Amino acid sequence: MSSDGPIYRTKNYPHPQQQQSSQFYQPTTPSPQSQASNAHEGDYTVPNPQSHNGFFSPQTAFYGSSNQATSSIEFLSNNPFLNVGFNVVEQGMKDMTDKTINMLPNQMKKSLSSIKYYFAVDQTYVIKKLCLILFPFRPRNWSIGYNADEPVPPRVDTNAPDYYIPLMSAITYVLVAGLVLGIQNRFTPEQLGMHATSVLIWNIIEILILSITFYIFNIQSKLRILDLIAYCGYKYVGMITALSSYLITDSLFIYRLALLYISISLSYFLVKCLRLQILPDIGGSQPYNTNGNTRRIYLLLFVVLLQPLFIWYLTQHLIIP
Amino acid sequence: MGFTLYNLIEAALLCINAVAILSERFLSKLSGNANINYPNVGGYGVDYQNSGGAKQQLLTLIRSVRTVMRIPLIAFNVVTIMFLILFG
Repeated sequence: MSSDGPIYRTKNYPHPQQQQSSQFYQPTTPSPQSQASNAHEGDYTVPNPQSHNGFFSPQTAFYGSSNQATSSIEFLSNNPFLNVGFNVVEQGMKDMTDKTINMLPNQMKKSLSSIKYYFAVDQTYVIKKLCLILFPFRPRNWSIGYNADEPVPPRVDTNAPDYYIPLMSAITYVLVAGLVLGIQNRFTPEQLGMHATSVLIWNIIEILILSITFYIFNIQSKLRILDLIAYCGYKYVGMITALSSYLITDSLFIYRLALLYISISLSYFLVKCLRLQILPDIGGSQPYNTNGNTRRIYLLLFVVLLQPLFIWYLTQHLIIP
Repeated sequence: MGFTLYNLIEAALLCINAVAILSERFLSKLSGNANINYPNVGGYGVDYQNSGGAKQQLLTLIRSVRTVMRIPLIAFNVVTIMFLILFG
């Protein structure tokens, strides 16, 4: 409502002036200051009738009733009944969401709470993780912290996967793709929807292929499918940086350089992250290779090499030499 | 790049159709006639070291997909055909 203020302001002003001057003679025109002072009220930007000469006109009576509305806005914000109303609405909405959540079967409730784990992030985590994706080459400890056999939420442990960064970077990728298309004069609003759909579809295809590969090679690893979705979503950060470097410098060479660097750093990052989860423990509990260590290594390489391929493929069509 | 959600659904449907059309004889020939005995074991065959092979897993996957999706696949196919006839 407050954003409509300026628009209403400019629309309402000519009206009272014209009507008043056409029908009644007024020795003094309403001063612009009174109008400006009333402009702070919001929608009802009407000249205060008391600042006029005192002619009683039907218009000012009408404006008088709406002037009461300007004080009604203060009435709205100071009213304790409004707080009660807000609380009731909030309680009702919470009840409705609780009811819908309780109506779901038990499996979905469990997965809802496990998805909530991935969104428990804060700002320091996001910044650290982004710096890590873009420059993972410093020596550090990559193990994931556990708390009583359950992974620690990302707020506490920088190494834990999350869904916030993949989600936000996927949305940002769609917007940056629209920007690139717009600069090349190729933009239509349908392109945004198409890019969003293709992001979703390629994600689904990638997760499906990886899950089926995990199942076929019968690899039992600590990596859950939800974790895999998170790790596959980190490539959108790389896509955004490659596209932004192309946007800023508008040279193919910088774009290819950025692509190469992103591929290397993302591969390094994923190898370090996934190595502890896919490859078996070095604790020596399995003395011989019945679990197919070579298979796991190949699978890890497959996962890691798939990402730069996707990055290249999904940004290729946006670049025109 | 013109992927729509419908394209994904169509591709998935065609893939599952392809899996459902595979003939039983061909599958048993592939698995070396060992799979016919597995249902008699009653689900304890997973303890076998051999059933962890990639081929066995793949065949188990194909078999389970066929068993589960046989009836719903008829419904999906009919619905898709109706849609394609009516809406091109």
